[in-house]
Amino acid sequence: MAIKTFNNIKLGAFVLTSLLILILLLYMIGRNRNLFGSNYTLKATFENIQGLKAGNNVRFAGIDVGTVKKIEIKNDTLVEITMIIDKKVKNIIRKNAIVSIGTDGLVGNKVVNIIAAKKIGELAKEGDFLPSKKPLDTDDMLKILQKTNADASVVAENLKYTTMHINQSNIIWSILNDTLLYKNLRNSIVNIHQITENANKTVSDIKSVVVNIKNGKGTLGAIITDTVISSNLNKAINKIYNVGKSTDTLVIKLNQITSKINYQINNGNNIIHSIFQDSIIPLRVNQSLENIENASNGLNQNMEALKHSFLFRHYFKKKEKKKLSRIENK
Amino acid sequence: MEQTIIIKRFLDELGDMSRFSGRFFSEWFKPRYEIAEFFKQCYVIGYKSLPLIGLTGFIMGLVLTMQLRPSMVDYGVESQLPAIVGIAIVREIGPVITALIFAGKIGSSIGAELGSMKVTEQIDAMEVSGTNPYKYLVVSRVLATTFMLPVLAILSDGISLYGSYLGVNIKGETSALLFWTQVSNSLEFYDVLPAFIKTYFFGFAVGMIGCYKGYNSSKGTEGVGHSANSAVVISSVTIFILDLLAVQITDLLGFN
Amino acid sequence: MKTTSITQLTEIPETIMSISNLYKSFGSNNVLINFNLDLLKGKNTVVLGKSGSGKSVLIKCIIGLLKPDSGSIIVYNENIVNLHGAKLDKIRAKVGFLFQSNALYDSMTVKENIEFPLRRHWLKVTQLEVSKMVEEALEDVGLSHTINMMPAELSGGMRKRIALARTLILKPEIILYDEPTTGLDPITGKEIINLMIDIKNKYNTSALIISHDMNCVRWAGDRIIILLEGKCYAMGTYEELKNSQNQKIKQFFD
Repeated sequence: MAIKTFNNIKLGAFVLTSLLILILLLYMIGRNRNLFGSNYTLKATFENIQGLKAGNNVRFAGIDVGTVKKIEIKNDTLVEITMIIDKKVKNIIRKNAIVSIGTDGLVGNKVVNIIAAKKIGELAKEGDFLPSKKPLDTDDMLKILQKTNADASVVAENLKYTTMHINQSNIIWSILNDTLLYKNLRNSIVNIHQITENANKTVSDIKSVVVNIKNGKGTLGAIITDTVISSNLNKAINKIYNVGKSTDTLVIKLNQITSKINYQINNGNNIIHSIFQDSIIPLRVNQSLENIENASNGLNQNMEALKHSFLFRHYFKKKEKKKLSRIENK
Repeated sequence: MEQTIIIKRFLDELGDMSRFSGRFFSEWFKPRYEIAEFFKQCYVIGYKSLPLIGLTGFIMGLVLTMQLRPSMVDYGVESQLPAIVGIAIVREIGPVITALIFAGKIGSSIGAELGSMKVTEQIDAMEVSGTNPYKYLVVSRVLATTFMLPVLAILSDGISLYGSYLGVNIKGETSALLFWTQVSNSLEFYDVLPAFIKTYFFGFAVGMIGCYKGYNSSKGTEGVGHSANSAVVISSVTIFILDLLAVQITDLLGFN
Repeated sequence: MKTTSITQLTEIPETIMSISNLYKSFGSNNVLINFNLDLLKGKNTVVLGKSGSGKSVLIKCIIGLLKPDSGSIIVYNENIVNLHGAKLDKIRAKVGFLFQSNALYDSMTVKENIEFPLRRHWLKVTQLEVSKMVEEALEDVGLSHTINMMPAELSGGMRKRIALARTLILKPEIILYDEPTTGLDPITGKEIINLMIDIKNKYNTSALIISHDMNCVRWAGDRIIILLEGKCYAMGTYEELKNSQNQKIKQFFD
């Protein structure tokens, strides 16, 4: 009888050991899959999930914090993923953290990466949607660039049209036969033309720069986050903006003058003659034209300064190089 | 002509075996229950097989790891060695090797034991003594093998993984924690559960075939020897056939 | 008529088991053909026959290990042929069976072997009673010292005695002996025969002994039946049959 009890004890220990191993194994697997313990869910939407599957890992700052629980197609361009996240990181992941899909190793499984945003946001709660980052797509980048170019060309077209209008105004041409006046006027207009062209270019350049910054590309992206530099840049952009504005007013003024002249010519009275006889008026016109010239020179200087500003130096150098290479190609 | 005789004999035996197995299902849940005998058989069949199965499992894990290492190094995925070995052991090698060793040890012993009991009229004596020998001998043994083989397979898996851990550390350096994390990371429920469930069927097959062969042993010592031998052979083949079925069923159910 | 029947009853011992019209065949081999036999109370009946004449088949039919094709075996007002399960076990508890090969369980000690039928027949006995009964049974066969030994440690004669003790533990009224002296040396065989006679005298049992050993037939048998061609060919005492002029009977006694 004693032997039998002892045998039963051994048998019990034997079965229990194996049971413990099984439970341990299942527990370890379950822990990796977040099947046990407390957790909460977060959601994100993607246009393309690139083969992500339910059960793939979710990483925050490179640490496994959960798994993908469910993948649902919401409509033809939207896929919603639901992630189970360990409660331990509930006080860490914020609502503005960015979700992206990556690959574990070279040939590994897909993983969902949650990357904290620099700005401190609200903590993410159960069921919250986190913003998702589109996977880096060269096609999209090219599309954006193309659009920027198109915008720039429209702006340039408009400016060109305006200046051409001024240029082609025969009436001004014929009437302003005062060589000095004509010369000045012409210089001014040429200057304006250049300036506006420059401004146009700069604006488009800045636009593309801004787009790039937005996309977080290049060192600029990093630099821009520095508040000092960004305020400098702000200032520079404001300056450009102001210059452009003053050019606008100049052009308006010029328009007014020419329309006045136009009017007088059209009415065919002697006023025009008297104007030209009156030495003061041409002088005034001259003066105003000189003003325009000065202003445009100032703008040019500003542009030059902008060119030399260390922020944009790299960009303009690149531009120059491109130009050179284009010339060489030609 | 000879072939038809062989086929006839085979089918006859298969039908006989099926009927014998069917009797198990009609009898095991009816009273009276041979609980004491079941536990005794569990002890003999399960506990006493542990040293043998532990040893083979340990060697299997160690050897598999060492054999896999060169090719893993060639592909530059040496760090994945624990994961690969873990999957191989838990999914296939653990259950099948354990079942085969089990068939060799237990299948033959059941075949020989019941065979000699049959030959020396002990089975008849039991029946005369108010005991259903099928229940007392067959049901208790088949239940014991069915429940003990999974237990042994899990222990063997554990011991194999320990062997594998030592194998990894012969040439490399992996902490036990890292090894364990890698193994458990590479495993899914769907790896463990089908492997675990199929061991029940292996255990049932080993017990049933051993009992059938012993219970229907022909007279004489030669008959006993033949029973033991064919019990091992048939149960080993059956294990492989069941394994094939298991992999196809799990595949069909989408667990692979 | 009435008086004769009463006198007959006092003269002829009570029939404890009655086998009638028993048929049993294996395939095309007819082993028992219309076999009839009455077992008398308090008498040892020996069935004498050649090897393969169906003696073992007969005895296995009686204990219910084999089902006869037709016929009846009436014991305690029950037809064994139609019984199974618990009812059959109930009859079996009253009918002892000594196997030719002893059928001792190799994995059990002598004590466990002997108490096995006692435990298995659902008898409500305490552990103390069981021990007492085992000791008593062992005493009957004169092997009290072997109680904790394994069957493999015992000699052939001892094993036969242990098997007999196992049969006796249930205090059966009918004992079936399947070739009790086969495979034993003549001296040991004689000891077993004496034991059988002692048991009959002590417990007033009725026995059916199957044998082809003439010593056994001569000393143990009160009544001898010759099983030939599947039938009860002749019946009588040892002396009667020995002096028979029938050639077929004579061959057994040469």
